[in-house]
Amino acid sequence: MKMWYEREGADEDVVLSTKACLVRNVKGYNFPSKMDEKDAKSLLAKVDSVMDKNAFSGGLATDVVNKGEAEALMKAQISGRDGSLLYSPDKKAIYYNEDYGLSVAVGNSEHITIKAQAPGHDIGVYRVAEKVAVDLEKKLDIAYSEKHGFLTSSVKLTGTGLRILYTVAIPAIAKTEGGIAALRQRVGQYEWNIYPFADQGELNESGVYIIASVSTLGVSEDETLERGEMLIRDVIKAERACREQFATKKKTQMKDLYGRAYGLLRFATLMSRREALDAVCWLRLYRDYDDSSEFECKWKMLNTITQEVCWEQQRRGEINTQTSQKKRAERIRKILKGVD
Amino acid sequence: MRCERCGVELTNKIIKINDVPYCENCARIMGYGKFLRSPEEMLGSAFSPFDEIASSIMQMNELDFGNSALSCPKCGMMLRDFERKGRLGCIECYNTFNDYIVKEMFKQQGESTYGGRMPGQTAELNNIEKDAKPESKIEAKSDAPDEKASEKEEAKEGASEAEPQKEETGDLKTLALEKLAKLEKADLGMLSDEDLQTAIKLAADNEDYILASKLRDELKGRKEGN
Repeated sequence: MKMWYEREGADEDVVLSTKACLVRNVKGYNFPSKMDEKDAKSLLAKVDSVMDKNAFSGGLATDVVNKGEAEALMKAQISGRDGSLLYSPDKKAIYYNEDYGLSVAVGNSEHITIKAQAPGHDIGVYRVAEKVAVDLEKKLDIAYSEKHGFLTSSVKLTGTGLRILYTVAIPAIAKTEGGIAALRQRVGQYEWNIYPFADQGELNESGVYIIASVSTLGVSEDETLERGEMLIRDVIKAERACREQFATKKKTQMKDLYGRAYGLLRFATLMSRREALDAVCWLRLYRDYDDSSEFECKWKMLNTITQEVCWEQQRRGEINTQTSQKKRAERIRKILKGVD
Repeated sequence: MRCERCGVELTNKIIKINDVPYCENCARIMGYGKFLRSPEEMLGSAFSPFDEIASSIMQMNELDFGNSALSCPKCGMMLRDFERKGRLGCIECYNTFNDYIVKEMFKQQGESTYGGRMPGQTAELNNIEKDAKPESKIEAKSDAPDEKASEKEEAKEGASEAEPQKEETGDLKTLALEKLAKLEKADLGMLSDEDLQTAIKLAADNEDYILASKLRDELKGRKEGN
């Protein structure tokens, strides 16, 4: 079974993924930061007893780790970029479906975190996450007040407990002078937030950004989704317009960079994360304007490479060693060959 | 690092109040202005600075630790921990620190009242689903294919039945007027360029030229980069 992000999605030239996260807490238990071991185990058992085992695999995080699922959870963007979901695994549980696109984490920063992810632009993820949330709300005594809505440990989530996140690859806007500043202003008008996938380090120029909803109070789910949809349509349009500018005004340079980037990704034996993402940026910029049809370079391939490199498990002592670079280059070659 | 209140990137001057970073402007708005004077200002007049410094320190202490010793009777969470980490310990904390939590909500979101769905009920997605019903490809294992196929068929049948009905009964003029009334109240900054163009056409078709010109100005302003 392929991972969720290996499928094709709408507007995948710009939007890598759409995610909906819903958090809920169960009455009668302290929030995770103040929960003792006995309560943590009782909560895990309680949630486990109501989870639909036909729909989800997984269970106690310790068992999941012992089964060797840690890498898959990282790749599937479930365990967090730093793998924090798997810290103190004896106090946590993780449930996930076949393609890891739908997951339920128990005992992380909130009692229950439901995450639905889909490739490309797909706001349908909200309904998928909501279906699981509604089911759990019917079976468990969920912390809720009429005044503030769903009560959470973090005040930033109190209310709907909903975050919508679009992960976008916008190298053209990023390479356009003042592009990100203008986009940031636009995103702010919608009361949403935009931030780079990485502020510093190897991935800071990846052209990958996350656009996330902020408000959980004073807005309905419908309003949050509507604003997000309007915003993402604007972003897609702006990125495509910027790409067109690059492709028409600097055609020769772009074509050259496109070919070089493809060659590097397709034939290199060693590859750092920065190199890989930089090359993918150039492919993204010119892919739709390449009329030579010499290269087999589907959006799905580029998105898979981007997501695997961004959410790569970084083992201590293995960062950018020759072994990790070799492994990465091999995987990228395979993806571009269309072997997987 | 960014200001927790307004989100501006902090470059030169970072002011930490209870370990939370703020920009100078926000710190002043929050009433900490008197503590932000430069050393030159503080030491401008001979001898008086010592008194000022002493009283400032006393006031700082009161601000930082006055009510921060308040704690939740259920989980033992201290107010100062909440102020520092922004996280609560249990549901009871919402009662214990209510005033502070509401302030925090306003600071973060400009709102403290709930506007979402009730537990156990699905949200009404009128704005999203009326345009295009989103259908995600994510599937839980238990979704039987037969069930899904029949659901799709039902939906198709429903759609084909609904279409002519809509044509027969739908009063297009009323719909257009409703849309225009909505547009008049709408924050134009929230509309995409495409939506604006559609709206201009709709307004012009319905002879609402004032609205059409307002929309056209917004679009023009955007194109000129205002």
